[in-house]
Amino acid sequence: MQESELMVRRIKEGTVIDHIDEGKGLQVLGALQIDGRDGSLITIALNVPSGKFKKKDIIKVENKFLADDDTNKLAVIAPKASINIIKNYKLIEKRRVSLPNEIDRIFRCSNPDCITNSHEHIESVMDVMDKEGRVLKCRYCGRVLDVNQLKYN
Amino acid sequence: MNEFYNKDIISIKDYNKDQFEKIFDYTQKIMNLDPSSRREICKGKTLSYLFYEPSTRTRLSFESAMASIGGNSLGISDISSSSTQKGESLADTVKIMSIYSDILVLRHPLDGSSRFASEISTKPVINAGSGTEEHPTQAIQDLFTIKKEKKKIDGLKIGIIGDLKYGRTVYSLLSGLGNYDVNVHLISPESLRIRSDSIYEIRKKLSFTESTNLEDYIEDLDVIYVTRIQKERFPDEEEYLKVKGSYVIGLDLLKKMKDDAIILHPLPRLDEISNDIDKTKNAKYFQQAENGKHTRAALLGLILNENGF
Ligand SMILES: [Zn+2]
Repeated sequence: MQESELMVRRIKEGTVIDHIDEGKGLQVLGALQIDGRDGSLITIALNVPSGKFKKKDIIKVENKFLADDDTNKLAVIAPKASINIIKNYKLIEKRRVSLPNEIDRIFRCSNPDCITNSHEHIESVMDVMDKEGRVLKCRYCGRVLDVNQLKYN
Repeated sequence: MNEFYNKDIISIKDYNKDQFEKIFDYTQKIMNLDPSSRREICKGKTLSYLFYEPSTRTRLSFESAMASIGGNSLGISDISSSSTQKGESLADTVKIMSIYSDILVLRHPLDGSSRFASEISTKPVINAGSGTEEHPTQAIQDLFTIKKEKKKIDGLKIGIIGDLKYGRTVYSLLSGLGNYDVNVHLISPESLRIRSDSIYEIRKKLSFTESTNLEDYIEDLDVIYVTRIQKERFPDEEEYLKVKGSYVIGLDLLKKMKDDAIILHPLPRLDEISNDIDKTKNAKYFQQAENGKHTRAALLGLILNENGF
């Protein structure tokens, strides 16, 4: 077992989100709306050494098996993340995140005059125009958004 | 079933050339009908309008369109005197208005407001101007006018002049023109150039040049589309006065134009087109306003009748 994995307790059942880009761990939690209020054990490791000069973040969520619909939202925040589903201490599924056709809620449209930034009860929805170039477009105002400048809700 | 039946009109970007042509055909059909058969098209139907910023002209165009096809209109044209001023959400107001009517016409200062309203409304929604970039029915009216006057749109040289930064009609018109093979020249003061972040998609469909000098292009243009230059857009009065004069269409400029060039303006105008142009054969802006009534009537008729009319 690698040193990095030892830093975070092994889990019996649940999901391990590994290889999150350094510093993005908390945003990943926010995007998945994981806040621990349901009582499940959540471990977060930030700045875990990974390889010679790199660092990564890791999140372990016990007793929760995250589906594609949830984890694919992460493709914008942490494109290199891997999702590991653990059952009875065994890795039974490992997958990469890939951009879905639309991303709702997690980002704020960068257009200040967009209805999604108003007082109306409305959540942002962004259509993914180009999966490789990671081009998103606000479904409401139609603005094409720069992924690197997106703000989180 | 006609493809527009029960559908919203949110963005000009949702339409293609075939659909424009279909709308033009129905507009011509409306124009050819005698008034009494025209009034059968939406007999007994009600349009409601909801204007979060004043635009008497657009509202009246919709009202007269609806009246011409036998329907009636009700609504709020001055939001400051209504309950929304007391903090009612757009969502609630839209919900209520869609109970009162068969179709809803919305004008709102925020981008995306019509898309949002269409999700809330149980009735079709027409965007009568939202945010800074969308005014689809104005663009349809403009395209129809060009087609009717020039008998075609493909192959034309079109100049768009004035305030290109803040005029929402310009962005919608450019998106619409992106469906055609046209040469567009954008002519504006440096400070009122088109916003580059807003034309990301237009650029892929349409080739255009940008310039500050109208005289460089005037003799080549088939269509001269003039927009209003509003004083409040300028940081100071001096700058406004400097710019204002250079884009006024007067008789001297008319002499340099092609004999069959047409002059359009979404109206209301200030003094971008001098009054002595009005009686020339090139002036088509009042025609354009009339066409607006007929194109809107055609759209209303298509949306509200399953099998067209
Ligand atoms: Zn937006």
